[in-house]
Amino acid sequence: MVGRPVTADGRVAIDPPSGVDTSGAADPPGAADTPAGRDTGVRTPRLGRWLFDPAPMSRLAALRLLVFGFVVVDVLGLHTSGWYHGWADPVWYEPLLLGDALHLPAASVALVELLRWGSVAAALAAMTGRAPRLLGWTVAVGWTWYQYVAFSYGKVDHDRADFVVALALLPTVGLAHLSDRRRSEAAGFALRAVQLAAVATYFLSAWAKVRFGGWEWVNSATMVRAVVRRGTPWARWLLDVPWTLHWFQWVLFTAELTAPVIFLLSERWRRRAVAGWFVFHAMTYAAITIAFWPHLVMMLAFLPLERGAEWLRERLPRRVAATLRSVSGWSS
Amino acid sequence: MDTGVIRLGAASKAWRAAVVAMLAGLFCAGSLVGDDPWWPFGPWRMFSTSQASTGSVVSTGIEVQTAQAPRDWVPAPLTPDTVGLNRAEIEGRIPQIVAHPSRLGTLAASHAALRPGAPAWTALRVVRRQIVVVDRKPTGEVRQQTLAQWSAGP
Repeated sequence: MVGRPVTADGRVAIDPPSGVDTSGAADPPGAADTPAGRDTGVRTPRLGRWLFDPAPMSRLAALRLLVFGFVVVDVLGLHTSGWYHGWADPVWYEPLLLGDALHLPAASVALVELLRWGSVAAALAAMTGRAPRLLGWTVAVGWTWYQYVAFSYGKVDHDRADFVVALALLPTVGLAHLSDRRRSEAAGFALRAVQLAAVATYFLSAWAKVRFGGWEWVNSATMVRAVVRRGTPWARWLLDVPWTLHWFQWVLFTAELTAPVIFLLSERWRRRAVAGWFVFHAMTYAAITIAFWPHLVMMLAFLPLERGAEWLRERLPRRVAATLRSVSGWSS
Repeated sequence: MDTGVIRLGAASKAWRAAVVAMLAGLFCAGSLVGDDPWWPFGPWRMFSTSQASTGSVVSTGIEVQTAQAPRDWVPAPLTPDTVGLNRAEIEGRIPQIVAHPSRLGTLAASHAALRPGAPAWTALRVVRRQIVVVDRKPTGEVRQQTLAQWSAGP
């Protein structure tokens, strides 16, 4: 998709190449005074510049590919309790507010099969990069409804809500190819929104700990409970050394409460912070086999994914690359 | 290769900013006053409750009887692929189950539909195990209690 001017979705101008990659970093003060800023005729305040900081289209395309690929894996293998609810008696159905508002019925085998295979088909189609809004929002509705079915039988998983933001907002960018070197404010906005939702998860879960567990949460035996209930063989020793889990609660709570600081860091430290969170999630998985999978995909929005795509393209056999090119515009 | 910057118009920016503000408002309201039924805007309360450092950790399970062994209670997996529901979904509904033990019969029916090759369950009971914890350390003592029971009839 090369050519200008692009009229879809209110894109009003394409600036000349800047040659400077400021993607992911906050604009320096006075950036709105550049010719690019004046071209739009919009005087954007600092928060607006931060929210719409242009990001590479290729990065957005790579994240979309990962998000839709994840939907396929998630629906088929990772989170299947919604599918099994098709076989549960409707007497166990407890509609959430969303279901009350939209009059969603209790699950049936036909409904869960439709949601499951519909989400997978839409996500696979969306991975081609074609009709990004129609297919993207179809995936958003299918996946969200499938989660709703999973959560309306008495237990809500608290780690999956932020992914709804990614599915809802990634399609707003329209066409984006892995080979598209341009940067765009729409892509920057979508990536920023995904980052914000992912980081909000940490901060708001610290908030929830104070609200439901009280400030004494840090000194409680919550992690002991988790390890007793679902600890792996290589985490059980932690129960014999109780101070480890006790201190872990302090570290976790502090890290969650201060998570928004990630937006103030330099690019290099921001990536280190993301790496730190990935280490935390890997440790959690090793100890109690719980991983917040959709959230992990969202954290990738902080990384220069387009470089990974480029790296892969250079190393993939020509034939595979040609196939990928034909399905997702992956050309150089 | 074009490496320029694609800008957004004022209206496109305005509605996007409004969407972010609305989402932020809903997520914050959910965290402040909402609860699980608010999903996806409910509070992020995973592992948010405080467990007393001395007390007991409760774990709920089911035990079943089959026609082959009508007198033996055998622990059965309480998982979505065997009964259509998971342990937490049963744990959250204990008061309703105690009031209407016949609800447990639907688990046996779901099991028969999901595992047609397995021996049918003729009776089912919900068992609560309490693992005693003193000073953040399990003592090894486990207390067991039957909460509700259902059988397929005469």
